[in-house]
Amino acid sequence: MSKNLRRATTIAALSALTLVLSGCSPELQRGFLPDSAGVTNHTDRIIGLWTTSWIVLLGVGALSWALMAWALIVYRRRKGETGMPQQLRYNMPIETLFTVIPLILVLGFFAFTTRDTTAIEAKTENPDVHIEVIAKQWSWDFNYVDENVFESGIQAQFTGTEENIMETLPTLYLPVGKTVQIDLTARDVIHSFWVVEFLYKKDMFPGMTNQMFFTPLKEGTYVGKCAELCGEYHSMMLFNVKVVSEQEYQSQMAALAAKGNVGLLSTEYDRNQNLPGGDPSIRN
Amino acid sequence: MATISELRTNPSSFSPKRSKGQIIVDWLTTTDHKKIGYLYLITSFIYFMIAGVMALVIRAQLALPGLEVVASKEQYNQLFTMHGTIMLLMFATPLFAGFANVLMPVQIGAPDVAFPRLNAIAYWFFSFGSLIAVSGFFTPQGAASFGWFAYAPLSNTTFSPGIGGDLWVFGLALSGFGTILGGVNFITTIITMRAPGMTMWRMPIFTWNTLVTSILVIMAFPPLAAALFALGADRTLGAHIFDPANGGAMLWQHLFWFFGHPEVYIIALPFFGIVSEIFPVFSRKPIFGYKTLVYATISIAALSMTVWAHHMYVTGQVLLPFFAFTTMLIAVPTGVKIFNWIGTMWKGSITYETPMLWSLGFLVSFVFGGLTGVILASPALTFHLSDSYFVVAHFHYVVFGTVVFAMFAGFYFWWPKFTGKMLNERLGKVHFWLLFIGFHATFLVQHWLGVIGMPRRYATYLPEDGFTEMNLISTAGSAILALSMIPFLFNVWVTYRKGVKTELMDPWGYGRSLEWATDSPFPRHNFHSIPRIRSESPAFDLNHPEYASPEAKASYAKEGRI
Repeated sequence: MSKNLRRATTIAALSALTLVLSGCSPELQRGFLPDSAGVTNHTDRIIGLWTTSWIVLLGVGALSWALMAWALIVYRRRKGETGMPQQLRYNMPIETLFTVIPLILVLGFFAFTTRDTTAIEAKTENPDVHIEVIAKQWSWDFNYVDENVFESGIQAQFTGTEENIMETLPTLYLPVGKTVQIDLTARDVIHSFWVVEFLYKKDMFPGMTNQMFFTPLKEGTYVGKCAELCGEYHSMMLFNVKVVSEQEYQSQMAALAAKGNVGLLSTEYDRNQNLPGGDPSIRN
Repeated sequence: MATISELRTNPSSFSPKRSKGQIIVDWLTTTDHKKIGYLYLITSFIYFMIAGVMALVIRAQLALPGLEVVASKEQYNQLFTMHGTIMLLMFATPLFAGFANVLMPVQIGAPDVAFPRLNAIAYWFFSFGSLIAVSGFFTPQGAASFGWFAYAPLSNTTFSPGIGGDLWVFGLALSGFGTILGGVNFITTIITMRAPGMTMWRMPIFTWNTLVTSILVIMAFPPLAAALFALGADRTLGAHIFDPANGGAMLWQHLFWFFGHPEVYIIALPFFGIVSEIFPVFSRKPIFGYKTLVYATISIAALSMTVWAHHMYVTGQVLLPFFAFTTMLIAVPTGVKIFNWIGTMWKGSITYETPMLWSLGFLVSFVFGGLTGVILASPALTFHLSDSYFVVAHFHYVVFGTVVFAMFAGFYFWWPKFTGKMLNERLGKVHFWLLFIGFHATFLVQHWLGVIGMPRRYATYLPEDGFTEMNLISTAGSAILALSMIPFLFNVWVTYRKGVKTELMDPWGYGRSLEWATDSPFPRHNFHSIPRIRSESPAFDLNHPEYASPEAKASYAKEGRI
C-alpha cells in the first residue's frame, strides 16, 4: 500500500468514526454515562476522558479479538491434515513491539488522567458556598455553614410498594453557578458521598474530614447515594441534590430557619465516643 | 514406552480390596501430594457451588426493585459477604493449591513435595479455618455481614456485634496459615526437587507461575494474618487498634489491600499458567516467547505489590498519581501475555477439544476485563465508578473469567491424569457454551448498571432508578450459568460409572510437560522412569522426535536416534 493511500484510508476511517459518533444517540456519545454534560465544572472533562479512553481501549480490544478470530479460523487443523506446523519458539522484534506499544499507550493515558485528576481535586480558595455533610447510619445531615441552618435526614422508607420515594428523600440545595466546598465526615462508620450526575464521590470517615470542590452549572434534581457499605440499611441511604437559582436557594434557607433548624449539627451526636468494642463482657 | 507401561500394571490394583473405613482413614491421614491436591480440588469445588448458590439468591433478590427474597437486608449483607469470602479464600486460593499440589511435583519430575506432612497440615488448617468462618451461618445473629473486606469501624463489635464476625476473623486467620505453609512448601519443592536436566528455564509455565504465586503468598498473607489478629483483639479483648480516633479506619484499609491486591494475582497467575499449558498442546506449537512470558509473570507479581491503594482512590487519603501509574503499568506485562498466547496459536494447527475451548473462553473474556481494569486505574474515572456495579462487572470478568474458565480447562485437560478416564467431550461442549453465554449475560450488563449509578452491595433499588431491565437480564443470565453445572456434574458421574480407561500416557497426543510422560492415572511416586529433559517440552520431544526442540534433537543426534 502506498503512503498516500494509507493516509487516505486513515483519514477516511477517522472521519467515518466521527460521523458515526456524531450521528448516533446522545447516550452513546457520552459513553452511556448519566446525562451529566455541563452539570458541574468537572463533568465535561470526565466525559471527554471517558469516551476517548474507551475509543482507544476498544480499538486495542478489537485488534486482540480480531487476531484471535483470525488465528482460530485460518490456522485450524483441517480434516486429514497430518504433521506439525513450524515449531516457532520466539520472535524478539514482535515481542519487543507488543511490549513497547502498550507502554506508550499507557504513558499517554497516564498523562491525560493526571491532568484531569489534578483539575478535579484542585482546591477552591474562598468558595461562595460552604456546606458540611455528615453521614450517619443511614442518612445525612446537611449544615449550610454560611446561612447557619441545617437539615437532618432520615433513611428512605421503601419496602417495595411505595411510590414517589424520591420526593421524600433528604435534599441538599445548591445555588447554580456558585463555587462550592463540601466538607465530608461521618458519625459512625465509613460512608461515601456519591452524586451520580456529578460523576464524583468521596468517602466520609468518622474522626476525619474530606473535602470536595466544584461549581454546579445546571439547574436540576440529581440522584445521591451512599456508596460505601455501612450496615443493614445501606441501600436506603439515599438523598437528592437540587441545584437551584440563587433566589430559590435563599428562600429554601429561609424556610429551614423558619422551621427552627437554626445552628449547625455538630459531632456531639456521633456514636463513636467510645470505640471500638468497649467492655467485651457487656456485649449483647 | 507403550509396551513398558502395559507390562507394568498399577501397583494399587494388586492390593486387596479395602473396606470403606480403610479408604477414609487413608484419605484423612494421607501425605501424598496428589491426594492432598485432590482434597483441595474437591473441597474448593464444593465451596464454589455453595457460594454459587448464594450468588443465585443475591441475583434473585435484585431481579426487581423492592423484592424480599431474603427476610432482611442484614441477611442479604451476610450473603454477599460470605459469597465474596468463600469465592476468594475458600474456592480460588485453595483451588490454586489443589492444581499446584497435584501437578507441580510431576511437572518437575519429583516424587512428592519437599514437606509432605506440612502439606497435609496446611490442607487441614485451610479446611477447618474455612469451616469456622462459614459456621457463622449457624449462630443466632448469622454470619459476618461487613463485606469481605471488613472495613473498620463497621467490622467492630459496636456495629457488627454477632459472633459470626469473630468466627470470620479467626477462621480466616487459621485458613491463611494453611495458605502460607502451602506457599513455603511449593517454593522449597521447586527450588530443591527438580529432576536432573530440569533447569529453571525448562520448567513448564504452570510451574513457573506456581513459584511466583507462592512468593506472592508469603509476602501478602502474613500482613493479612497480622491484621486479622489485630481485628480479633479489637473485637474480643477491647483493643483499639482500628479505632477511627487514631486513624484505625485507614490503617485497616492499607493492611487489608496490601494483602487484597496481591491476592487477586495469587488467584490469577496459576490459572494463566493452566491456559499456558493448554494453548501449545492444541495448537501443536511450543509456547510463544517462553522467556518473555516468565518475565511478564514476574513483572506482574512485582507490580502487584505496589498498587494496593488503587482500591482507595475515593478515600482522599492516598497519593493518586503513584498508584495510578503503577496500576496502569500492569497492563503492559498482561498485554504481553495475551499476545504471547495469540502468538502460540498463530500459524499453528488448532483443534477445539474441550480444554482448548475453555482456554479460549478465558482469553476472550479476560481481554475485556483487562480493558475495564485500565479504565479503573484512572482516578478521574474511578471517582464515578468506584463501589458501583462497574467494579462488580470488572472483577467478575477478571476473576471468574480467569479462575472458573481455566479451572474447567484444567479439569477437562488433566482428568485422564487424575482418574485415568477422559471426560465426555460432547457434554463438555454443552457445559462450555451454557456457561459462556450465562456468564456474559450475567455480567456484561452490570457494566452499564454501574455507569448509570447502581452502587454495589445494595439490597434493593427504586423503580425510578431505571435499573430494572438490566437487573432482570443479569438474573436470567445467572440462571443459565447455574444450569451449566448440570452437564458438568453429569459428565463427572457418567465418566466415573461408564468411562473407558485410557491406557495412554498422553491421550491428547501432543502433550509437552512431564506429566504426559507417565502413566494415567499417576503411579504412587509419579514416575517409573523419567525421560531425558532437554527443553521445556520433554514429553513432546520424546513422542515427536522429528519436531523436537533443537536441544533435544542435538541430544538424539548424538545417539544416532534421528
